[in-house]
Amino acid sequence: MTKGYVVGKVADIPAGSKKLVEAGGRTIGVFNVNGVFYALRNVCPHQGAELCKGLIKPYVVSSGPGHFEYEREGEIIRCPWHQWEFDIKSGCMIIDPATRTKSYEVTVETFGVSVEEGDIVVHV
Amino acid sequence: MEESEPAVKNKKRLKKTIIDCDIHNETPMNEVKEYLPRFYRDMVDSFGARNVSSIYLNGTPSGRLIEGESRPRSASPRTTKDIVNHYRSKLLDPFHLEYGILTASDYSTHTLPDIDFAAAIASAKNDYIAERWLAEDSRLKGSVFIPKQDPALSAKEINRVGSHPDVVQVIVSSGAEKPYGHRFYYPIYEACVKHNLPFTIHVSMEGLGMNPAPTGAGYVTYYAEYRAARPQVMAAHLASFIYEGVFERFPDLRVVLQESGVMWIAPALWKMDQDWKGLRHQTPWVKKPPSEYFRQNVRVTSQPLEIPPDRELFDKLLTSIHANECLLYCSDYPHWDFDSPAKAFPKLEDGLWERVFYQNAADLYGLPQRKG
Repeated sequence: MTKGYVVGKVADIPAGSKKLVEAGGRTIGVFNVNGVFYALRNVCPHQGAELCKGLIKPYVVSSGPGHFEYEREGEIIRCPWHQWEFDIKSGCMIIDPATRTKSYEVTVETFGVSVEEGDIVVHV
Repeated sequence: MEESEPAVKNKKRLKKTIIDCDIHNETPMNEVKEYLPRFYRDMVDSFGARNVSSIYLNGTPSGRLIEGESRPRSASPRTTKDIVNHYRSKLLDPFHLEYGILTASDYSTHTLPDIDFAAAIASAKNDYIAERWLAEDSRLKGSVFIPKQDPALSAKEINRVGSHPDVVQVIVSSGAEKPYGHRFYYPIYEACVKHNLPFTIHVSMEGLGMNPAPTGAGYVTYYAEYRAARPQVMAAHLASFIYEGVFERFPDLRVVLQESGVMWIAPALWKMDQDWKGLRHQTPWVKKPPSEYFRQNVRVTSQPLEIPPDRELFDKLLTSIHANECLLYCSDYPHWDFDSPAKAFPKLEDGLWERVFYQNAADLYGLPQRKG
Protein backbone atom coordinates (compact mmCIF):
# COMPACT_ATOMS: atom_id res chain seq x y z
CA MET A 1 0.00 0.00 0.00
CA THR A 2 1.59 3.24 -1.09
CA LYS A 3 1.05 6.60 0.49
CA GLY A 4 1.27 9.93 -1.34
CA TYR A 5 3.58 12.63 -0.01
CA VAL A 6 3.41 16.19 -1.30
CA VAL A 7 7.04 17.17 -1.77
CA GLY A 8 6.79 20.55 -3.49
CA LYS A 9 5.33 22.61 -6.30
CA VAL A 10 5.97 21.96 -9.98
CA ALA A 11 7.65 25.35 -10.22
CA ASP A 12 10.23 24.24 -7.61
CA ILE A 13 11.79 21.65 -9.93
CA PRO A 14 12.22 23.05 -13.45
CA ALA A 15 12.96 20.70 -16.36
CA GLY A 16 16.52 19.34 -16.13
CA SER A 17 16.77 19.81 -12.37
CA LYS A 18 16.17 17.74 -9.28
CA LYS A 19 15.31 18.11 -5.62
CA LEU A 20 16.09 15.92 -2.64
CA VAL A 21 13.04 15.44 -0.42
CA GLU A 22 12.05 13.44 2.66
CA ALA A 23 9.07 11.14 2.25
CA GLY A 24 8.00 8.09 4.21
CA GLY A 25 11.11 8.25 6.33
CA ARG A 26 13.58 8.09 3.45
CA THR A 27 15.43 10.54 1.25
CA ILE A 28 14.22 10.60 -2.32
CA GLY A 29 15.48 12.44 -5.38
CA VAL A 30 12.74 13.97 -7.52
CA PHE A 31 13.77 14.69 -11.11
CA ASN A 32 12.10 16.70 -13.84
CA VAL A 33 13.03 15.11 -17.17
CA ASN A 34 11.56 17.24 -19.98
CA GLY A 35 8.44 18.05 -17.94
CA VAL A 36 7.87 14.57 -16.56
CA PHE A 37 8.67 13.80 -12.93
CA TYR A 38 10.51 10.73 -11.65
CA ALA A 39 11.63 9.77 -8.17
CA LEU A 40 14.51 7.55 -7.04
CA ARG A 41 15.64 6.42 -3.63
CA ASN A 42 18.78 8.37 -2.73
CA VAL A 43 20.88 5.25 -2.22
CA CYS A 44 23.24 3.74 -4.76
CA PRO A 45 22.97 -0.07 -4.84
CA HIS A 46 26.74 -0.27 -5.30
CA GLN A 47 28.23 1.15 -2.11
CA GLY A 48 25.43 3.21 -0.62
CA ALA A 49 26.38 6.70 -1.81
CA GLU A 50 23.73 9.38 -2.11
CA LEU A 51 22.98 8.53 -5.71
CA CYS A 52 20.71 11.48 -6.45
CA LYS A 53 23.45 14.00 -5.62
CA GLY A 54 25.32 12.92 -8.74
CA LEU A 55 25.51 14.66 -12.09
CA ILE A 56 22.58 14.51 -14.52
CA LYS A 57 23.99 13.63 -17.93
CA PRO A 58 23.02 12.37 -21.35
CA TYR A 59 23.91 8.83 -22.39
CA VAL A 60 27.15 9.09 -24.36
CA VAL A 61 27.47 6.72 -27.31
CA SER A 62 29.96 6.45 -30.13
CA SER A 63 30.35 5.29 -33.69
CA GLY A 64 34.09 4.82 -33.18
CA PRO A 65 37.18 6.09 -31.41
CA GLY A 66 37.17 9.87 -31.05
CA HIS A 67 33.45 10.19 -31.84
CA PHE A 68 30.94 11.13 -29.16
CA GLU A 69 27.18 11.36 -29.60
CA TYR A 70 24.63 12.27 -26.97
CA GLU A 71 21.38 10.39 -26.47
CA ARG A 72 18.69 10.45 -23.79
CA GLU A 73 19.48 14.02 -22.70
CA GLY A 74 18.93 14.50 -18.98
CA GLU A 75 17.89 10.89 -18.38
CA ILE A 76 21.03 9.57 -16.74
CA ILE A 77 22.22 10.12 -13.19
CA ARG A 78 25.86 9.32 -12.47
CA CYS A 79 26.49 8.27 -8.89
CA PRO A 80 28.74 10.81 -7.15
CA TRP A 81 31.14 8.14 -5.88
CA HIS A 82 32.03 5.76 -8.73
CA GLN A 83 30.24 7.35 -11.67
CA TRP A 84 28.06 4.35 -12.35
CA GLU A 85 25.22 5.44 -14.64
CA PHE A 86 21.57 4.92 -13.76
CA ASP A 87 18.41 5.48 -15.74
CA ILE A 88 16.43 8.18 -13.90
CA LYS A 89 13.20 6.77 -15.34
CA SER A 90 13.63 3.28 -13.95
CA GLY A 91 16.41 3.33 -11.36
CA CYS A 92 18.25 0.66 -13.34
CA MET A 93 21.99 0.73 -13.94
CA ILE A 94 22.48 1.31 -17.64
CA ILE A 95 24.92 -1.51 -18.38
CA ASP A 96 23.44 -3.93 -15.87
CA PRO A 97 19.72 -3.31 -15.35
CA ALA A 98 19.55 -5.93 -12.59
CA THR A 99 21.49 -3.46 -10.46
CA ARG A 100 18.90 -0.88 -9.51
CA THR A 101 17.72 1.55 -6.92
CA LYS A 102 14.08 1.86 -5.93
CA SER A 103 11.97 4.14 -8.12
CA TYR A 104 8.68 5.66 -7.07
CA GLU A 105 5.60 6.81 -8.90
CA VAL A 106 5.19 10.60 -9.09
CA THR A 107 1.96 12.44 -9.88
CA VAL A 108 1.09 16.12 -10.18
CA GLU A 109 -2.12 17.33 -8.50
CA THR A 110 -3.43 20.44 -10.24
CA PHE A 111 -7.00 20.73 -8.94
CA GLY A 112 -8.01 24.33 -9.36
CA VAL A 113 -4.50 25.68 -9.89
CA SER A 114 -2.12 26.17 -12.82
CA VAL A 115 0.39 23.42 -13.53
CA GLU A 116 3.19 25.51 -12.01
CA GLU A 117 1.22 25.77 -8.81
CA GLY A 118 0.40 22.05 -8.81
CA ASP A 119 1.64 19.74 -6.06
CA ILE A 120 4.24 17.08 -6.82
CA VAL A 121 3.20 13.90 -5.06
CA VAL A 122 5.58 10.99 -4.55
CA HIS A 123 3.94 7.65 -3.86
CA VAL A 124 6.03 5.68 -1.39
CA MET B 1 70.13 -44.19 -23.18
CA GLU B 2 69.65 -41.08 -21.07
CA GLU B 3 68.47 -39.22 -24.12
CA SER B 4 65.64 -41.59 -25.05
CA GLU B 5 64.17 -41.88 -21.57
CA PRO B 6 62.20 -38.60 -21.47
CA ALA B 7 60.72 -39.38 -24.87
CA VAL B 8 59.34 -42.65 -23.58
CA LYS B 9 57.76 -40.92 -20.59
CA ASN B 10 56.24 -38.28 -22.80
CA LYS B 11 54.72 -40.92 -25.02
CA LYS B 12 52.86 -42.27 -22.01
CA ARG B 13 51.64 -38.85 -20.94
CA LEU B 14 50.72 -37.53 -24.39
CA LYS B 15 48.18 -39.84 -25.93
CA LYS B 16 47.33 -37.36 -28.64
CA THR B 17 49.34 -35.02 -30.82
CA ILE B 18 49.53 -31.35 -29.87
CA ILE B 19 50.09 -27.90 -31.33
CA ASP B 20 53.05 -25.94 -29.95
CA CYS B 21 52.53 -22.19 -30.47
CA ASP B 22 56.02 -20.84 -29.75
CA ILE B 23 59.07 -22.51 -31.25
CA HIS B 24 62.11 -20.34 -31.77
CA ASN B 25 63.71 -21.44 -34.97
CA GLU B 26 67.17 -20.06 -35.56
CA THR B 27 67.64 -17.53 -38.31
CA PRO B 28 71.39 -17.45 -38.87
CA MET B 29 72.40 -14.22 -40.56
CA ASN B 30 74.88 -15.95 -42.85
CA GLU B 31 71.90 -17.66 -44.51
CA VAL B 32 69.30 -14.90 -44.11
CA LYS B 33 71.55 -12.38 -45.82
CA GLU B 34 71.41 -14.39 -49.03
CA TYR B 35 67.84 -13.10 -49.29
CA LEU B 36 68.78 -9.44 -48.84
CA PRO B 37 69.09 -7.00 -51.72
CA ARG B 38 72.72 -6.42 -52.64
CA PHE B 39 73.04 -3.06 -50.92
CA TYR B 40 71.90 -4.35 -47.55
CA ARG B 41 73.89 -7.57 -47.95
CA ASP B 42 77.00 -5.47 -48.50
CA MET B 43 76.07 -3.36 -45.49
CA VAL B 44 75.74 -6.42 -43.25
CA ASP B 45 79.05 -7.80 -44.56
CA SER B 46 80.81 -4.52 -43.90
CA PHE B 47 79.21 -3.31 -40.69
CA GLY B 48 77.40 -6.30 -39.17
CA ALA B 49 73.69 -6.82 -38.76
CA ARG B 50 73.24 -4.10 -36.12
CA ASN B 51 71.95 -6.63 -33.63
CA VAL B 52 71.02 -4.94 -30.40
CA SER B 53 72.67 -6.85 -27.56
CA SER B 54 70.62 -7.71 -24.55
CA ILE B 55 71.27 -5.51 -21.55
CA TYR B 56 70.19 -8.25 -19.14
CA LEU B 57 71.55 -11.69 -18.47
CA ASN B 58 69.51 -14.65 -19.60
CA GLY B 59 68.82 -18.02 -17.96
CA THR B 60 71.80 -19.61 -19.68
CA PRO B 61 74.72 -18.00 -21.52
CA SER B 62 72.88 -18.26 -24.84
CA GLY B 63 69.35 -18.18 -23.44
CA ARG B 64 69.00 -21.71 -24.76
CA LEU B 65 68.78 -25.15 -23.28
CA ILE B 66 72.29 -26.51 -22.84
CA GLU B 67 74.22 -27.07 -26.02
CA GLY B 68 73.30 -30.40 -27.54
CA GLU B 69 69.70 -30.04 -26.40
CA SER B 70 69.05 -26.90 -28.40
CA ARG B 71 71.57 -27.26 -31.21
CA PRO B 72 73.23 -30.06 -33.10
CA ARG B 73 76.46 -30.75 -31.26
CA SER B 74 78.86 -31.61 -34.04
CA ALA B 75 77.73 -30.08 -37.30
CA SER B 76 80.04 -27.26 -38.14
CA PRO B 77 79.29 -25.07 -39.91
CA ARG B 78 75.66 -25.77 -39.07
CA THR B 79 73.22 -25.40 -41.92
CA THR B 80 69.51 -24.83 -41.49
CA LYS B 81 68.93 -28.40 -42.67
CA ASP B 82 70.99 -29.68 -39.72
CA ILE B 83 69.06 -27.47 -37.36
CA VAL B 84 65.66 -28.55 -38.70
CA ASN B 85 66.67 -32.18 -38.24
CA HIS B 86 67.74 -31.42 -34.72
CA TYR B 87 64.37 -29.80 -33.94
CA ARG B 88 62.66 -32.88 -35.37
CA SER B 89 64.57 -35.23 -33.11
CA LYS B 90 64.40 -33.09 -29.97
CA LEU B 91 60.95 -31.53 -30.20
CA LEU B 92 58.63 -32.41 -33.06
CA ASP B 93 58.94 -36.19 -32.87
CA PRO B 94 59.36 -36.90 -29.14
CA PHE B 95 56.66 -34.44 -28.09
CA HIS B 96 54.18 -35.52 -30.78
CA LEU B 97 53.68 -32.19 -32.47
CA GLU B 98 50.92 -32.18 -35.04
CA TYR B 99 51.89 -28.58 -35.79
CA GLY B 100 54.45 -26.14 -34.48
CA ILE B 101 54.29 -22.39 -34.88
CA LEU B 102 57.72 -20.93 -35.60
CA THR B 103 58.41 -17.59 -33.96
CA ALA B 104 62.03 -17.29 -35.11
CA SER B 105 64.83 -15.60 -33.20
CA ASP B 106 66.27 -12.14 -32.81
CA TYR B 107 63.68 -9.39 -32.96
CA SER B 108 66.31 -6.68 -32.72
CA THR B 109 65.48 -4.98 -36.01
CA HIS B 110 62.28 -3.88 -34.26
CA THR B 111 64.40 -1.49 -32.24
CA LEU B 112 66.24 0.21 -35.09
CA PRO B 113 65.53 3.71 -36.35
CA ASP B 114 66.61 2.66 -39.87
CA ILE B 115 63.20 1.49 -41.01
CA ASP B 116 64.18 0.52 -44.55
CA PHE B 117 66.91 -1.72 -43.22
CA ALA B 118 64.42 -3.24 -40.74
CA ALA B 119 62.02 -3.83 -43.64
CA ALA B 120 64.73 -5.47 -45.75
CA ILE B 121 65.71 -7.80 -42.91
CA ALA B 122 62.07 -8.67 -42.26
CA SER B 123 61.52 -9.58 -45.92
CA ALA B 124 64.74 -11.58 -46.08
CA LYS B 125 63.81 -13.48 -42.91
CA ASN B 126 60.33 -14.25 -44.21
CA ASP B 127 61.73 -15.63 -47.46
CA TYR B 128 64.46 -17.58 -45.66
CA ILE B 129 61.96 -19.12 -43.22
CA ALA B 130 59.53 -20.07 -45.99
CA GLU B 131 62.22 -21.82 -48.05
CA ARG B 132 64.46 -23.34 -45.41
CA TRP B 133 62.01 -24.19 -42.63
CA LEU B 134 58.39 -24.29 -43.77
CA ALA B 135 59.22 -26.19 -46.93
CA GLU B 136 61.25 -28.73 -44.94
CA ASP B 137 58.50 -30.10 -42.71
CA SER B 138 54.75 -29.79 -43.19
CA ARG B 139 54.24 -29.64 -39.42
CA LEU B 140 55.93 -26.26 -39.27
CA LYS B 141 53.95 -23.02 -39.65
CA GLY B 142 55.45 -19.57 -39.89
CA SER B 143 55.13 -16.01 -38.56
CA VAL B 144 55.44 -12.89 -40.71
CA PHE B 145 58.17 -10.50 -39.57
CA ILE B 146 57.40 -6.83 -40.14
CA PRO B 147 59.20 -3.53 -39.67
CA LYS B 148 56.61 -2.52 -37.10
CA GLN B 149 58.14 0.92 -36.67
CA ASP B 150 56.49 1.76 -40.01
CA PRO B 151 52.92 0.43 -40.33
CA ALA B 152 52.67 1.19 -44.07
CA LEU B 153 55.80 -0.82 -44.86
CA SER B 154 54.58 -3.49 -42.47
CA ALA B 155 51.28 -3.78 -44.33
CA LYS B 156 53.20 -4.03 -47.58
CA GLU B 157 55.18 -6.98 -46.23
CA ILE B 158 52.06 -8.69 -44.88
CA ASN B 159 50.44 -8.29 -48.29
CA ARG B 160 53.55 -9.68 -49.96
CA VAL B 161 53.83 -12.90 -47.94
CA GLY B 162 50.57 -13.16 -45.99
CA SER B 163 48.85 -15.54 -48.37
CA HIS B 164 51.63 -18.15 -48.19
CA PRO B 165 49.75 -21.29 -47.15
CA ASP B 166 52.12 -22.09 -44.29
CA VAL B 167 52.18 -18.60 -42.80
CA VAL B 168 49.73 -18.35 -39.89
CA GLN B 169 50.37 -15.10 -38.03
CA VAL B 170 52.17 -11.75 -37.90
CA ILE B 171 54.64 -11.35 -35.06
CA VAL B 172 56.14 -8.38 -33.22
CA SER B 173 58.05 -7.91 -29.96
CA SER B 174 56.44 -6.28 -26.93
CA GLY B 175 58.90 -3.37 -26.67
CA ALA B 176 57.18 -0.58 -28.59
CA GLU B 177 57.21 3.15 -29.25
CA LYS B 178 53.46 3.28 -28.72
CA PRO B 179 51.05 0.79 -27.16
CA TYR B 180 49.75 -1.53 -29.87
CA GLY B 181 46.15 -0.37 -29.70
CA HIS B 182 47.18 3.04 -31.05
CA ARG B 183 45.64 4.01 -34.39
CA PHE B 184 49.19 4.48 -35.72
CA TYR B 185 49.17 0.69 -36.22
CA TYR B 186 45.85 0.43 -38.08
CA PRO B 187 47.45 -0.39 -41.48
CA ILE B 188 48.98 -3.47 -39.87
CA TYR B 189 45.63 -4.62 -38.52
CA GLU B 190 43.88 -4.00 -41.84
CA ALA B 191 46.44 -6.27 -43.49
CA CYS B 192 46.17 -8.89 -40.72
CA VAL B 193 42.40 -9.05 -41.12
CA LYS B 194 42.66 -9.12 -44.92
CA HIS B 195 44.92 -12.18 -44.76
CA ASN B 196 43.19 -13.69 -41.74
CA LEU B 197 46.40 -13.60 -39.70
CA PRO B 198 46.46 -13.12 -35.92
CA PHE B 199 48.76 -10.40 -34.57
CA THR B 200 51.09 -11.92 -32.00
CA ILE B 201 53.02 -9.88 -29.44
CA HIS B 202 56.00 -11.84 -28.17
CA VAL B 203 57.93 -10.57 -25.16
CA SER B 204 61.30 -8.89 -25.81
CA MET B 205 63.07 -5.71 -26.88
CA GLU B 206 61.65 -3.58 -24.06
CA GLY B 207 64.18 -0.88 -23.23
CA LEU B 208 66.37 -1.62 -26.23
CA GLY B 209 67.31 0.56 -29.18
CA MET B 210 64.67 3.19 -29.80
CA ASN B 211 62.14 1.58 -27.47
CA PRO B 212 61.34 3.27 -24.16
CA ALA B 213 62.44 1.88 -20.76
CA PRO B 214 61.22 -1.63 -19.93
CA THR B 215 58.96 -0.32 -17.15
CA GLY B 216 57.19 2.94 -16.42
CA ALA B 217 59.46 3.21 -13.38
CA GLY B 218 62.55 3.10 -15.56
CA TYR B 219 65.22 0.48 -16.08
CA VAL B 220 65.22 -2.48 -13.75
CA THR B 221 68.59 -4.00 -12.84
CA TYR B 222 68.46 -7.78 -13.00
CA TYR B 223 67.21 -10.38 -15.43
CA ALA B 224 64.74 -11.89 -12.94
CA GLU B 225 63.52 -8.37 -12.19
CA TYR B 226 62.98 -7.75 -15.90
CA ARG B 227 61.00 -11.00 -16.18
CA ALA B 228 58.88 -9.93 -13.21
CA ALA B 229 58.14 -6.63 -14.96
CA ARG B 230 57.11 -8.13 -18.33
CA PRO B 231 53.39 -8.25 -17.54
CA GLN B 232 53.34 -4.45 -17.12
CA VAL B 233 54.17 -3.89 -20.75
CA MET B 234 51.83 -6.60 -22.00
CA ALA B 235 49.04 -5.30 -19.76
CA ALA B 236 49.50 -1.87 -21.32
CA HIS B 237 49.16 -3.39 -24.80
CA LEU B 238 46.06 -5.35 -23.80
CA ALA B 239 44.35 -2.30 -22.28
CA SER B 240 45.38 -0.25 -25.30
CA PHE B 241 43.65 -2.62 -27.73
CA ILE B 242 40.48 -2.51 -25.66
CA TYR B 243 40.23 1.19 -24.82
CA GLU B 244 41.38 2.44 -28.21
CA GLY B 245 38.46 0.50 -29.66
CA VAL B 246 40.59 -1.65 -31.98
CA PHE B 247 38.27 -4.62 -31.64
CA GLU B 248 35.24 -2.49 -32.51
CA ARG B 249 37.01 -1.24 -35.63
CA PHE B 250 38.52 -4.63 -36.51
CA PRO B 251 36.12 -7.17 -35.00
CA ASP B 252 37.84 -10.04 -36.80
CA LEU B 253 41.32 -9.18 -35.53
CA ARG B 254 42.86 -11.73 -33.17
CA VAL B 255 45.72 -10.77 -30.88
CA VAL B 256 48.00 -13.26 -29.15
CA LEU B 257 49.91 -12.35 -25.98
CA GLN B 258 53.09 -14.40 -25.76
CA GLU B 259 55.51 -15.08 -22.93
CA SER B 260 54.70 -12.24 -20.57
CA GLY B 261 52.84 -14.39 -18.08
CA VAL B 262 49.35 -15.80 -17.96
CA MET B 263 47.70 -15.56 -14.58
CA TRP B 264 48.02 -11.73 -14.26
CA ILE B 265 45.32 -11.53 -16.88
CA ALA B 266 42.64 -12.61 -14.37
CA PRO B 267 42.82 -9.55 -12.08
CA ALA B 268 43.56 -7.32 -15.08
CA LEU B 269 40.20 -8.33 -16.58
CA TRP B 270 38.41 -7.91 -13.26
CA LYS B 271 39.85 -4.43 -12.91
CA MET B 272 38.97 -3.35 -16.43
CA ASP B 273 35.42 -4.66 -16.10
CA GLN B 274 35.02 -2.86 -12.80
CA ASP B 275 36.38 0.41 -14.18
CA TRP B 276 34.20 0.16 -17.25
CA LYS B 277 31.10 0.48 -15.06
CA GLY B 278 32.03 4.01 -14.04
CA LEU B 279 34.24 5.17 -16.91
CA ARG B 280 32.36 3.78 -19.89
CA HIS B 281 31.15 7.22 -20.90
CA GLN B 282 34.72 8.47 -21.40
CA THR B 283 35.38 5.82 -24.09
CA PRO B 284 31.86 5.06 -25.31
CA TRP B 285 33.23 3.11 -28.29
CA VAL B 286 34.08 0.39 -25.79
CA LYS B 287 30.65 -1.15 -26.04
CA LYS B 288 31.15 -4.35 -24.04
CA PRO B 289 32.82 -5.19 -20.73
CA PRO B 290 36.56 -5.46 -21.51
CA SER B 291 36.62 -9.15 -20.58
CA GLU B 292 34.20 -9.79 -23.44
CA TYR B 293 36.68 -8.36 -25.93
CA PHE B 294 39.38 -10.52 -24.35
CA ARG B 295 37.30 -13.66 -24.86
CA GLN B 296 36.39 -12.75 -28.39
CA ASN B 297 39.62 -11.27 -29.73
CA VAL B 298 42.59 -12.16 -27.54
CA ARG B 299 44.49 -15.38 -26.95
CA VAL B 300 47.40 -16.08 -24.60
CA THR B 301 50.11 -18.71 -24.85
CA SER B 302 51.06 -20.68 -21.77
CA GLN B 303 54.82 -20.63 -21.35
CA PRO B 304 56.32 -19.80 -18.85
CA LEU B 305 53.28 -20.98 -16.92
CA GLU B 306 52.94 -19.76 -13.35
CA ILE B 307 51.84 -22.46 -10.93
CA PRO B 308 49.84 -21.04 -8.00
CA PRO B 309 50.50 -22.59 -4.58
CA ASP B 310 47.40 -24.75 -4.56
CA ARG B 311 45.51 -26.66 -7.19
CA GLU B 312 42.17 -25.05 -6.44
CA LEU B 313 43.61 -21.59 -7.13
CA PHE B 314 45.18 -22.83 -10.34
CA ASP B 315 41.83 -24.09 -11.61
CA LYS B 316 40.01 -20.92 -10.60
CA LEU B 317 42.57 -18.73 -12.33
CA LEU B 318 42.35 -20.83 -15.49
CA THR B 319 38.61 -20.30 -15.43
CA SER B 320 39.09 -16.58 -14.83
CA ILE B 321 41.30 -16.19 -17.90
CA HIS B 322 38.80 -18.19 -19.97
CA ALA B 323 41.44 -20.85 -20.62
CA ASN B 324 38.86 -23.04 -22.28
CA GLU B 325 38.68 -20.55 -25.15
CA CYS B 326 41.76 -18.39 -24.80
CA LEU B 327 44.78 -20.38 -23.58
CA LEU B 328 47.17 -22.05 -26.02
CA TYR B 329 49.99 -24.38 -25.05
CA CYS B 330 53.51 -23.49 -26.13
CA SER B 331 56.97 -24.80 -25.27
CA ASP B 332 59.29 -21.89 -26.14
CA TYR B 333 61.77 -24.49 -27.39
CA PRO B 334 64.78 -24.27 -27.40
CA HIS B 335 64.97 -21.63 -24.70
CA TRP B 336 66.20 -22.43 -21.22
CA ASP B 337 62.78 -21.98 -19.58
CA PHE B 338 61.13 -24.48 -21.96
CA ASP B 339 57.78 -25.91 -20.77
CA SER B 340 57.40 -29.61 -21.47
CA PRO B 341 53.94 -30.46 -22.81
CA ALA B 342 53.94 -33.53 -20.58
CA LYS B 343 55.05 -31.89 -17.35
CA ALA B 344 54.48 -28.15 -17.25
CA PHE B 345 50.76 -28.35 -16.47
CA PRO B 346 49.16 -30.25 -13.63
CA LYS B 347 46.78 -32.86 -15.01
CA LEU B 348 43.86 -31.19 -16.78
CA GLU B 349 40.50 -32.79 -17.38
CA ASP B 350 40.33 -34.17 -20.93
CA GLY B 351 38.09 -31.51 -22.44
CA LEU B 352 40.19 -28.62 -21.20
CA TRP B 353 43.42 -30.39 -22.14
CA GLU B 354 42.13 -30.80 -25.66
CA ARG B 355 41.25 -27.10 -25.91
CA VAL B 356 44.59 -25.89 -24.53
CA PHE B 357 46.88 -28.35 -26.31
CA TYR B 358 45.10 -28.47 -29.65
CA GLN B 359 41.73 -27.00 -30.46
CA ASN B 360 42.16 -23.38 -29.36
CA ALA B 361 45.26 -23.13 -31.55
CA ALA B 362 43.60 -25.02 -34.42
CA ASP B 363 40.67 -22.59 -34.30
CA LEU B 364 42.92 -19.55 -34.12
CA TYR B 365 45.30 -20.53 -36.88
CA GLY B 366 42.82 -22.39 -39.08
CA LEU B 367 44.71 -25.67 -38.73
CA PRO B 368 43.00 -28.95 -39.55
CA GLN B 369 42.13 -31.77 -37.19
CA ARG B 370 44.71 -34.44 -36.45
CA LYS B 371 45.58 -36.67 -39.34
CA GLY B 372 46.05 -39.82 -37.28
